[in-house]
Amino acid sequence: MMRKARPLKEHAAEAALFRRRALIGFLCALLGLAVLAGWYFHLQVVQHDLYATRSENNRLRLVPVAPARGLILDRKGRILADNVSAWRLDAVPERAGDGAALLANLQGVVAMDLEQQARFLREYKASRPFKPVTLKLRLAEDEAARFAVNRWRFPGVELVPYLGRVYPYGALFAHVVGYVGRIDDKDLAAMGDAGGAYTHVGKTGLERFYEQELRGKPGYRRLETNVAGRTVRTLETLPAAPGTDLRLSIDADLQQAMTEAFGELEGSAVAVDPRTGEILAMVSLPTFDANLFVNGISHADFRALNDNPSRPQFNRVVLGGVAPGSTIKPLLALAGLDSGTRRAEDKILSTGMFYLPGQKRGYGDSHRGGHGWTDLRKSIYQSVNTYYYKLALDMGIDKVDAYMANYGFGRPTGVDLAGEIEGILPSPAWKAAHAPKQGKWYPGDTVITGIGQGFWKVTPLQLAQATGGLASGWLRAPHLVKDTRSNFDAPWRPVPLKPAHRMSASPAHLQAVTEGMVATVHGYGTATNIRAGLTYTIASKTGTAQVVSRRGNAALNPRSLPMHLRHRALFIAFAPAEAPTIAIAVAVEGGGYGASTAAPIARKVFDAWLLGRAPVPAKPEDALPLQRPDFSNVMGSGTALPPAKTPGAP
Amino acid sequence: MKFLLQWLLDLLLRFLRSLDLPLLAGLLALMGAGLVTQYSAGSGTLRGVMMQGGFFTVGLGALWVVSRVPAHLLKQATPLIFALSLVPMVLVLFIGSGKYGNHWINLGFFNVQPSELCKLTLPMMLAWQLDRHPLPPRLPGLLVAVAIVALPVGLTFLQHDLGTAMLILAAGGFVLFLAGTSWWWWLAASGIGAVGYALAKFAPITWFSFLRPYQQDRILTFRNPENDAMGAGWNILQSQIAIGGGGVQGKGWGQGTQTHLNYLPEHSTDFAFSVLAEDFGWIGVMVVLGLYLFVIGRCLWIATDARDGYGRMLAGTIGLSLFAYVLVNGGMVSGLLPVVGVPMPLLSYGGTSAVAILLGFGVVMALRPHRQIYR
Repeated sequence: MMRKARPLKEHAAEAALFRRRALIGFLCALLGLAVLAGWYFHLQVVQHDLYATRSENNRLRLVPVAPARGLILDRKGRILADNVSAWRLDAVPERAGDGAALLANLQGVVAMDLEQQARFLREYKASRPFKPVTLKLRLAEDEAARFAVNRWRFPGVELVPYLGRVYPYGALFAHVVGYVGRIDDKDLAAMGDAGGAYTHVGKTGLERFYEQELRGKPGYRRLETNVAGRTVRTLETLPAAPGTDLRLSIDADLQQAMTEAFGELEGSAVAVDPRTGEILAMVSLPTFDANLFVNGISHADFRALNDNPSRPQFNRVVLGGVAPGSTIKPLLALAGLDSGTRRAEDKILSTGMFYLPGQKRGYGDSHRGGHGWTDLRKSIYQSVNTYYYKLALDMGIDKVDAYMANYGFGRPTGVDLAGEIEGILPSPAWKAAHAPKQGKWYPGDTVITGIGQGFWKVTPLQLAQATGGLASGWLRAPHLVKDTRSNFDAPWRPVPLKPAHRMSASPAHLQAVTEGMVATVHGYGTATNIRAGLTYTIASKTGTAQVVSRRGNAALNPRSLPMHLRHRALFIAFAPAEAPTIAIAVAVEGGGYGASTAAPIARKVFDAWLLGRAPVPAKPEDALPLQRPDFSNVMGSGTALPPAKTPGAP
Repeated sequence: MKFLLQWLLDLLLRFLRSLDLPLLAGLLALMGAGLVTQYSAGSGTLRGVMMQGGFFTVGLGALWVVSRVPAHLLKQATPLIFALSLVPMVLVLFIGSGKYGNHWINLGFFNVQPSELCKLTLPMMLAWQLDRHPLPPRLPGLLVAVAIVALPVGLTFLQHDLGTAMLILAAGGFVLFLAGTSWWWWLAASGIGAVGYALAKFAPITWFSFLRPYQQDRILTFRNPENDAMGAGWNILQSQIAIGGGGVQGKGWGQGTQTHLNYLPEHSTDFAFSVLAEDFGWIGVMVVLGLYLFVIGRCLWIATDARDGYGRMLAGTIGLSLFAYVLVNGGMVSGLLPVVGVPMPLLSYGGTSAVAILLGFGVVMALRPHRQIYR
């Protein structure tokens, strides 16, 4: 066997073979790279817009910038609602991870009580993954510093500066200014896109009523953020437009004086300028610290407020409806004059009891045995019921209603506070609609309507409005905000007044009623207890009201009401009587007679406003003689009793 | 004076004589693109650029040295080189480190990836073996060739470096292809490849239980990057956004937001090509792909002129391997292929890869015929 020869290589053939293969290889490479180039063309040219958008979305974050909320000032420019810079802690769910673990990690860095933790976890769970959820508002200085140092441990958690709301006067303006609270889902839904800029929204009072104006317009910052969500740089800032500043007609000093005048008493009072309808002071007691609500009130505080039977959060001035009682009398008297039913000098005999024809049940006077012959003025300063029983009957309920509606009863005053009630102006139509079980409208209903009892329900603000009407002759809608400015440098622009209408066509009629009201204090009237030391004239009327319940079914069983909700001492007044600059309505809870508890409050407020000083306990010998000839005729008139040291008495 | 200049010029020519200037120009252009990309990927810091420049210098030195080695010496030494290159391949299994497997040997100042060298030594060995017999090879020769391929591929697979294993396998395939193996083999291989692609794309994932979890994740992610946009698909998605966002002209050098805001992961290494695509757009991509094609073509051109089968197959394979790297990395970062962790040649940051690739082109230049080294 021959050894098999090793086959010889054919070099030329091999080279030719290689050339073919190399060419094919090159063509394959060309094809492969062409496919790659085509795919990149697809991504970079065909789908460029799609990816460019996603690239932008990756890097850009539009962060709303909260505008500074408008300030609220008193009429002298003192700040009632202020903004302070504060730090809060926000967590973005998709980057901060598990909420419970986050809270555990935060222990020792930022103090959070169980309540705050529970609230955070609730909101955190409900939030969309990219939407920041606030961990804590108003971080203390050391907390903010501690977090800043430990910040690397908490991806997705950021220290955010914001403007917090502060009420420097605390409780004094709680019912006027109201408060802002943490924004909730309902608020957010109402705000739409811009909602993200805000942490707080007005919940009550002016903060709520003027929410739109106070809120301002949010700005935006376009931020470039890296993959960890940290801001790399700010690309563009659209500044926020600050909210409108509000200047109130309320004077903080007067508000303070009015609050102090109540002392330990509970109730409400409101003073207006009868020339404009400006509210000068407005108090509802007891009150509460509005600052409690700003950062989320604790359960304990909230329960304390809610369980308080006096209901500190209840704004009695616009929500607390009561029967006006005798304070309606000057108004009915004016209606009697204007309707031609009475002349001022017409006299009615008060015998202590008034009977409707054919009825055994009588309607009493406050004096057993009656007041004797009573003209219009005396009917006011001595608060003679019989005069008004007859007057209401003689006018007829429809005419009474027409005049009372003209004086602003039975409808909201239109004050710039949310939720004001309209009250009840008793009428056959109202009774048929709301109290059909009590039968048709009886003459007796008309009789007690005449002395402000029965179905009546008025708010202290409505009373103050009507009192202002008596003082100036014009019914003017009360309002809190005097003027506004769009920013710090802008001029103040007055809020346009609502149209006023005349109380009476006859100045003489007004004069007669006013004379009666002046005699209430300065004559032999029901409020002579506040006369001592007066240097100006007060026109006023006392009253006592049974509270018309505002608690729904509780109305049917008045005995279920606490004592202090059962009666009101009422007092309306304006001063100085010749050229009134202030009119007031006071309602004091806890029963009693209007003159004893409510009238001194009005006196103190008047002193503060007219004399610029807090009331001093005046002795009779301090009293200055009254030099107002206009009213000399009413001083001590209509009675045989000597006026007790009446100033200006002969 | 004139004499001195002439002498200097002569010296320079002697120095450059062993180099193929068109190929060198192509490589230098790619290295320039690489440094430009690294500058952008480093967000304007020069450290990465300096380091990569250092690697390139070392690689160019190696290229120059290897290009001066006579082709026949290279051929003679091939079995020894191959055997030596397998030593660290075994060693790395015991002392190696790496994220998912034992890829790297820590040399103290940097990590060496032994499998990178096999990308070069395997085709050398295979070309040497096949060239001993007439081409196209017969079945016995093929069986030996398969055994030679299986050795480094298997070792790389044991390191759990699927990407490099596939590239080494591809290099072996190129040698066999250039050796003139029958088309029937290639038809069969394409069939297997197509089935593999289809499996990766459509088969139930439980069929892949032999793979490690991260490898299974990659397959799932490859199927649908959006499926898990925050997890495994993040890389691909962000890379696609970077590429697509670049558009035709790109966002400008160093202006790529995906890169600079760290949305693009691993942007100096695996995803360097995405950085380039974002900064310089489709135009930049086309320029770089054109450079790669030129280098590939030049290698094949040199190969056809080589003096023997060994030189032809080896130079051709080195050129086609470059194509494979570019295709795999370019396809991977753009979502066309699964993520396999393969760098883009001369663009991605990395010393071993750069030196190994330049070494390969040094070999190509050494295989160039008509050199006058001994003058």
